[in-house]
Amino acid sequence: MVETTEKRPQRRYVDIGRWVRLGMGIIVAGFALWRMWNVFFVQQEYGLDTWTRFLISGIILGSVYAVIALGYTLVYGILFMINFAHGDVMMLGAFAGYFTLEAFKGRGFLNQNAGTAALSVIAAFMVGMALSMVVALLLERIAYRPLRKAPRLVPLISAIGASLVLQNAAQLMFGAERHTYANPDIIDRSTGISFLVQGQEVLITYTGMLTLGLSLLLMVGLLLLVRKTKMGKAMRAVAQDKETAALMGINVDRIIANTFAISGILAGAAGVMWGLHMGILYHYVGFIPGLKAFTAAVLGGIGNVVGAMVGGLTLGILEAAGPAILGLPFQLKDVLAFSILVLVLIFRPTGLVGQVLADKA
Amino acid sequence: MKHSNLRNGWVGGIVNIFLILLGLTGLAGTLLQGWLGLPSPAFGVWVSLLGVVVWSAARATKASGTQSWREALAGGALSGLLSGGIVGLLVGLLATLDAGSVEIRQWLVQLTPEAIALLTFGVAPWLATLLVAGVHALAGLLGSALYFAAITYQWQASVKGVLQDAGHSISQTQVYQRIAGHPSATTFAYAAGAILLLTAPLYLGRYWNYTLGTVGLYVILGLGLNIVVGMAGQLVLGYGAFFAIGAYTVALLTAPTPHGIMMNFWLVVPIGVILAALSGVVLGLPVLRMRGDYLAIVTLGFGEIIRILLKSDALIEFTGGPRGVRAVGGPSLFGIKMNNEFYFTYFIIIGIILAAYITAQLQKSRVGRAWMAIRGDEDVAEAMGIMTLKYKLLAFAIAAGLAGLSGVLFASRNKFTGPEDFTLLVSINVLSLVIIGGMGSIPGVIMGALILKGLPEILRELSDYRMLAFGALLVLMMILRPEGMWPSTRQKMELHGDEEKAETSEHTEPARGVA
Repeated sequence: MVETTEKRPQRRYVDIGRWVRLGMGIIVAGFALWRMWNVFFVQQEYGLDTWTRFLISGIILGSVYAVIALGYTLVYGILFMINFAHGDVMMLGAFAGYFTLEAFKGRGFLNQNAGTAALSVIAAFMVGMALSMVVALLLERIAYRPLRKAPRLVPLISAIGASLVLQNAAQLMFGAERHTYANPDIIDRSTGISFLVQGQEVLITYTGMLTLGLSLLLMVGLLLLVRKTKMGKAMRAVAQDKETAALMGINVDRIIANTFAISGILAGAAGVMWGLHMGILYHYVGFIPGLKAFTAAVLGGIGNVVGAMVGGLTLGILEAAGPAILGLPFQLKDVLAFSILVLVLIFRPTGLVGQVLADKA
Repeated sequence: MKHSNLRNGWVGGIVNIFLILLGLTGLAGTLLQGWLGLPSPAFGVWVSLLGVVVWSAARATKASGTQSWREALAGGALSGLLSGGIVGLLVGLLATLDAGSVEIRQWLVQLTPEAIALLTFGVAPWLATLLVAGVHALAGLLGSALYFAAITYQWQASVKGVLQDAGHSISQTQVYQRIAGHPSATTFAYAAGAILLLTAPLYLGRYWNYTLGTVGLYVILGLGLNIVVGMAGQLVLGYGAFFAIGAYTVALLTAPTPHGIMMNFWLVVPIGVILAALSGVVLGLPVLRMRGDYLAIVTLGFGEIIRILLKSDALIEFTGGPRGVRAVGGPSLFGIKMNNEFYFTYFIIIGIILAAYITAQLQKSRVGRAWMAIRGDEDVAEAMGIMTLKYKLLAFAIAAGLAGLSGVLFASRNKFTGPEDFTLLVSINVLSLVIIGGMGSIPGVIMGALILKGLPEILRELSDYRMLAFGALLVLMMILRPEGMWPSTRQKMELHGDEEKAETSEHTEPARGVA
C-alpha cells in the first residue's frame, strides 16, 4: 500500500458534556442543600404531624405510580420501547370503573349495605381491568406489532399517535367535563382512621388504605408471576433474546401479547384506584400520571420490576413532601417530578437499582 | 376461508361501534345532509356505517381467495351479518335504555336521543336489532359481490385503461405539448407560484392572512425540528420550549409590563434567536449523549418544566405568571407601524425562505452528511471520525434558533403571549407535521404544515376531530408509509431499501423452504 495519508496532529478529545454535568450536579446539590437548611433549621414551619401527612399521601400516591410503572417496565423490558399510551390505557380503565359504579348507583345497589358496596367496588375493578386489558391488546396488535422490526423511532412515534387517539376518543365519547367518581358511602374520600401525632389529628382515608393494600398485592402477584411461573420464565427469555427464545419453542408473539395484557390489567387496576382515591376523572387524567410513572420506572431502573416499585414509592414521597422539603410553592410539584426525571437520566440513567444496560441511554 | 369472513366481520362491527360512539356517523350525516341538500342526516349515517361493512366484506372476499360466486356471496353475507349482529346488539341496548328514560348522553355525550333514533328506524328495540343486522348483511353481500365482480370482469384493469387513455389524450393535445415542451416552462411555473405567494396577502382578508401566518409559523418550526428529527435522527418532544423562549424574549423586552424595557423590535429578533439557540446548546450538552426514546422523554420533561415555571406564581414578577404578557411590541420601519397580520405574513414568508435556504444548504454540506451518518448509526459515525456530540449540538442549536425566530414573530404578531400558548400540543403538532410531511424533506414539511394547520381551518366542522385524526394519521403513517407524504429520496431509500432487497432475493431463490 502506498503511503499517501499524512499523519495528522492528534487532538485530545475533551468531553465537555462531562464538565457540564459536573457543574450542573454541583449547582443542583447546592441548591437542594441550601433550601433544606432553610426549611429544617431556619424556618421550621412544619410540625411532625404535617410531615406524617406528607409521608402518608406520598406513599399512597407512590404505590399507584408503582403499579403504573410496572406496566411501562414490563413492556420496556421486552420490546425496548416506551409505551407512550400506557397512561391513557389507565385512564380508560378508570372510566370503565366509573361507569360500573354509576350503573350500580343508578340501581340503588351501591349503598344498600357493606356487602353490596364491596361487590360494586370489586365489579368496578374487574370491569376496569378487563377493559384496559382489551385496549392494551388492541394497541399492541394495531399500533406496535406491525412495527416490531422497524427502526426504534418508528414505534415510539406510533405510540405517541396511539396516545393522542385514546385521549381524544375518550374526550369525544365521554365529554370534556370532569366527572366525579361515585364512591360507596362507606369508603367516602373523607372518611378513614385518624390518629394523633403531637396532639394533631392525622387521617388515613379508607380509599388510601385500599389503594396501598391492593397495590402491594398486585406487586407481589406480579413478582411471583415473573419469577415463579412458566409464563414468567418465558417472558424473561423473550426479554433476553427474542430469536433464541423462539428457537427454544416459545411463541414470542403470544408472550408479547401476554405482557401487554398484564400491563393493561395493572393499568386498569391503577386507574380505578386513582379514581376512587383522587375522585376526579377526565380524558387527560392518564397523561401526567403516566409520565410520572414513567419517571418512577426510570428512577428505579427501567426494565426492572423491583426497581419500578422502589422508584414509584420514592417518586410519590418526593412529590408529596419534596416541595415542602425544598421550601418551594406546591404549584411546582410537577416541575420537581420532571426535574427528577431529567436529573436521573443525566446522572444515573440505569436508575437506583438498575444494572448497566448498554446502548439504552 | 370462513376464518377471514368471521374476522373481517367482527372487526367491521367494532369499527362501526366506535364510529357511533365517537359521533363520526353523526358527523357524516350532517356533512352529507349539507352538501347534498338532504332532508335528514339518516342517509349519511347509514352510508358511513354500511360503507365500512362493504369494505370489510370486500376484504374478506379478497382474503378468502374464493373462486365461486356462491361462496363469495355467502361469505360476504356472513361477515356482514356478524358486523350487523354486534352493531345491532348495541343499537338494541341503546334503544332499550333510551325507552327506559335513561339519559345516555350524560355519560356518552355523542348519543343524543336524535342520534339513537336515526339508528333504530323508530321501531321497537328487538326489531331494530334484527333490522340493523339485516341491513348490514345486505351491505356485506353487496361488498363481496362488488369485489368478486371486479376481479372476475377485471374492472380494475379497465378503469386503469380509461384513466391512462385520458391522460394520454391530454398529453397529446397541442396546447399541452407546446406548454410543457417549452424550455422555460419550469422556471415560469416557479415564477408564477412565487408571484402568487407574494401577492397573496394583498387580496386575502385579515382572517386568512392570520391563518396563513399561523401555517407559516409552523412551517418555520417544522423546518427547525426537521433538522434535529429528520436529518440528525434525534427525537425531540419538548421543542415548544424553544418557541416559548423566543416568544417570551420579545415579550419581556418590548412590552411595557412587567419590565418596561421597550426595546426596538429589530434588535430583539436576533436576541431572541440567539437566546433560544444558546438554551438549545445548554440543554443539549448534558442530554445529547442519550439516545432515542430517552432523549424524547427528557426533552418532553424539559418542555413541561418550562411551561409550568412560566405558568406558576413563582416567576410572576419576571414573566407575568399565568396571565402572560400583554402589549408586546411590533416592528416599524421608516416610521410606518407594521404591527398587523398583513405585514407579518410577509415577515413570516421571509422567515420561511431563510429557514428553507439554511436547511437546504446545510443538507448538502459536510454538516448535512455528518447528520446523515449520525442518523444512520451513531457508533459507526463516531468510528468514522465524526464528532457526534458537536454535530448533534449544532443541529440542536440551529433548530432551537429557528424555533426562537418563530416564537419572536408569533408573540409580536399576537401582541400577547402566555404560558397556555406553549402546551405540549405545540410540540406534538410540530412533530406530527414533520413526520406526516416527510422526515428530512423541505417540501414535505411545508406540505405537512398546510395539511395539519391549514386544513382544519378550512374544514371547520371537523375541528373537534382534529387531534383524533392526527393521532390516527401518525399511527397509520408509521405502519404504511413511515417516510412521510413527500419524502426525501434518502429517507425513502433507508426505510424501504431492505424490503426491495428482500423481494428481489425472494425472486431469485424461490425455493427457500421452511424459514
